[in-house]
Amino acid sequence: MRLPAPSLLRQNLLCASALGLLFLSAPFPQVQAVLHALLVLALAPRSEAPLVGALWALAAGWAVEGTLRLLPHLGGTAWADLTLVLFASWMAGRWPLEGLKGWLLRLAGLSVLHFLVVHAAVALAAGPHPWGWGWLWTLLSVPLWGWLSWRLLHAGSATGRR
Amino acid sequence: MWQSLALALLWVGHGVWVFLGPNPGRHWTSLADALSRPSQSLASRWQGWRSARRDAARSFAETRAENARLAAELAQLKTQAAQEAPALSEAEAAVRLLGLKRQIPLALASARVIFSTRPATYGGLILDRGADLGLVPDQGVFVPEGIVGRLWSVSATQAKVLPVDAPNASVAVMLMRSRATGVLQGLGSGRALIRYLSNQEVVQPGEAVLTSGLDRVFPRGLLVGYVAEVTQGDLELQVIVHLAAPLDRVSHVLLLPSQPPIEVQSPFLAPEQKVQRKRGKP
Repeated sequence: MRLPAPSLLRQNLLCASALGLLFLSAPFPQVQAVLHALLVLALAPRSEAPLVGALWALAAGWAVEGTLRLLPHLGGTAWADLTLVLFASWMAGRWPLEGLKGWLLRLAGLSVLHFLVVHAAVALAAGPHPWGWGWLWTLLSVPLWGWLSWRLLHAGSATGRR
Repeated sequence: MWQSLALALLWVGHGVWVFLGPNPGRHWTSLADALSRPSQSLASRWQGWRSARRDAARSFAETRAENARLAAELAQLKTQAAQEAPALSEAEAAVRLLGLKRQIPLALASARVIFSTRPATYGGLILDRGADLGLVPDQGVFVPEGIVGRLWSVSATQAKVLPVDAPNASVAVMLMRSRATGVLQGLGSGRALIRYLSNQEVVQPGEAVLTSGLDRVFPRGLLVGYVAEVTQGDLELQVIVHLAAPLDRVSHVLLLPSQPPIEVQSPFLAPEQKVQRKRGKP
């Protein structure tokens, strides 16, 4: 059974909130990594409006790199986020959601892919860099932020409840 | 449509921005490096080959210059050695004369041979000292190897030596073993003939011939030469003697006093074996 897409307003509000939290969590890189993945992989993708999601993803990427203040050339994370959000949007249109389990699996796969693409793009843009452990926190906490995003995006709809 | 275009522009723009990196020129530099690597390798090899050839040429030129310098130095040394050879020879002869002079208890004088007329008929040796040194005719002349002759004429500053091998020269001699005496008469070319030796005498080739002192020119016992050939004559032995003194190469001579005593200690008494070995006889 196909789930209806959340409203654009709700999605934008959630993205804005996540972006704000992204800035606020700059002193805590692990938390920021999780919020980053939440915004890019879960909240921003929208198959009907890929441009909006792309802008949010770009904002997320620039926000992360800007607050990190570590890389000599910014833009790698933003480009990876843009790529991933476009891919996730395409996936959302190609394979519509049917339940929380599929959603969590999709987020886990996208997290791994996001981690790889981000570091590849950053390596391309800024050269060698520390990878950190944010990817592990992100992957481990997929059930948490995946469930949270599921609730936030699809709360109120009958099919959104498990 | 416009959304897709905007997305494409966004993605491509960001991608280009990411790809350019912190130093956009490095990509062009690396690309140019990759493209020019073969030519750089060739140029490097070419430069290395030229450098090696230049070094080889320089070392070759240096070697040639050193060779020329060494050749010039060798020629100079040869010339110097040739120039110094007579002086060295004279010095050596002088040293030998000095040693001989110390061995003979007589008042010996020395002189230098300044000219030789031996190739001419009745030629002789011209000494650089004459009456200025108190020389008189008939003084005996000898060198460490043996007797040379006697003074034939004396001028104020020069003297002429009549060599032993001159046809008109005669020296009283005796054979070392038999002590038989005779008169040595010159035959030229460093050879002489002993006359008045009886057929009864036993003379062997290689036997030393000494002065007998009977002519009162040379004291007894100075070496004259060695017997080279012995033939039986009708009345006397024909004994050919090779003179010991190198008359053609004499540069310094010693002069005996006039009318020396018959007996003096002879410096020339050498062992017979040594004489035979020197002459190459069995």
